Amino acid sequence: MAALRDGDFGALQILLKAPSKDAVRQLCQECFSSPPAALGPLAQRACPGLAVSAQEAEQLVSALHNLTRHVVYRGFNRAEDILGLFPESFHQNLKNLLTKIILENVSTWRNEAQASQISLPRLVDLDWRVDIKTSSDSIARMAVPTCLLQLKIQEDAALCGNNPVVSALTVELSKETLDTMLEGLGRIRDQLSAVANK
Amino acid sequence: AADKIRLIPQDFLAELCEQIMQHLNHKIPGINTAELCQRIQTSGVDINIGDLAKIANTLSFLFSTAARNNLSTEELVTTLGSGVSTLPKHAVQVIRHVWNEQGKAIAVSEDAGNMATVGQFVDMKWKLGVAMSSDTCRSLKYPYVTVTLKVADPSGQITDKSFEMTIPQFKNFFRQFKEMASVLETV
Repeated sequence: MAALRDGDFGALQILLKAPSKDAVRQLCQECFSSPPAALGPLAQRACPGLAVSAQEAEQLVSALHNLTRHVVYRGFNRAEDILGLFPESFHQNLKNLLTKIILENVSTWRNEAQASQISLPRLVDLDWRVDIKTSSDSIARMAVPTCLLQLKIQEDAALCGNNPVVSALTVELSKETLDTMLEGLGRIRDQLSAVANK
Repeated sequence: AADKIRLIPQDFLAELCEQIMQHLNHKIPGINTAELCQRIQTSGVDINIGDLAKIANTLSFLFSTAARNNLSTEELVTTLGSGVSTLPKHAVQVIRHVWNEQGKAIAVSEDAGNMATVGQFVDMKWKLGVAMSSDTCRSLKYPYVTVTLKVADPSGQITDKSFEMTIPQFKNFFRQFKEMASVLETV
């Protein structure tokens, strides 16, 4: 969990060496999205663009990661809240620029955080088909409608990193079992409406 | 599998055979291997779910073959005796007893529901939750639906599959099922 550390604001002022506002914007986005383990390589990539030492790049990237994640964690969406994080002595223009960039991105970042938080495996796709069984080795003629359902389920994103494992579950449903399913789903829908109206 | 079968206490083995027979007779949708395994483990027996599943499969095959060939109890016991490895005496006793009681009753003809090459849906459990807070967002209020599907695989064994959906995903999920149901009606 990102907490702002003492040296972070000092390190952020390294951004004054950035070539453009867009470069700052890009770096903010990359630092937010990067997991802590990938910050090292990110610093190495950012180094040449900023004309700073490797150590300064690392401190900067880490500070920016902490700042952006902290804002998302606290749920700040007003300029005052973000401005209030910076110490008095911090460079005014840089402070305003960073606040502006963060405000632009905070909703997207919040969604990103929610999508990658721990959870059970997630449903990613649902395909289905209705068949009629007309005969088999044991029954010559019949007309039994049946549903084939394929669920694509992605294992916990946090565990898989960049290579999420997607497994497919194929299930057959008869009319009866489909009705059972629908009944259950109907109850969830009713609960959702009840909760939404509170 | 024959070695592991000697680990299973007689009453649990009888229960497993009972479930297998009921499944073959279409009285129950599947065999609760996972649940049974947990109870056997709690009683102090060191057996894992994979081994129990293999044993269940073997017994299921044994009973269904015996049913198709209309074997009497004596014929079944003789077949067991001449099998690959010797089963422990208590296992033979259980199998003999279960077959004697219920063997004749197994319907030899299959109905449409038995030609499973994919899992058969058994049941669905659900939960509607709201995530309040996480290490990435202190105040979340993020609603989600958790679903556990109970599926009987082709061998009859029941496994659970759990997953989460966002609310928009759930709405789409529900809509798809309603469509499926209406297609089933018209077909």
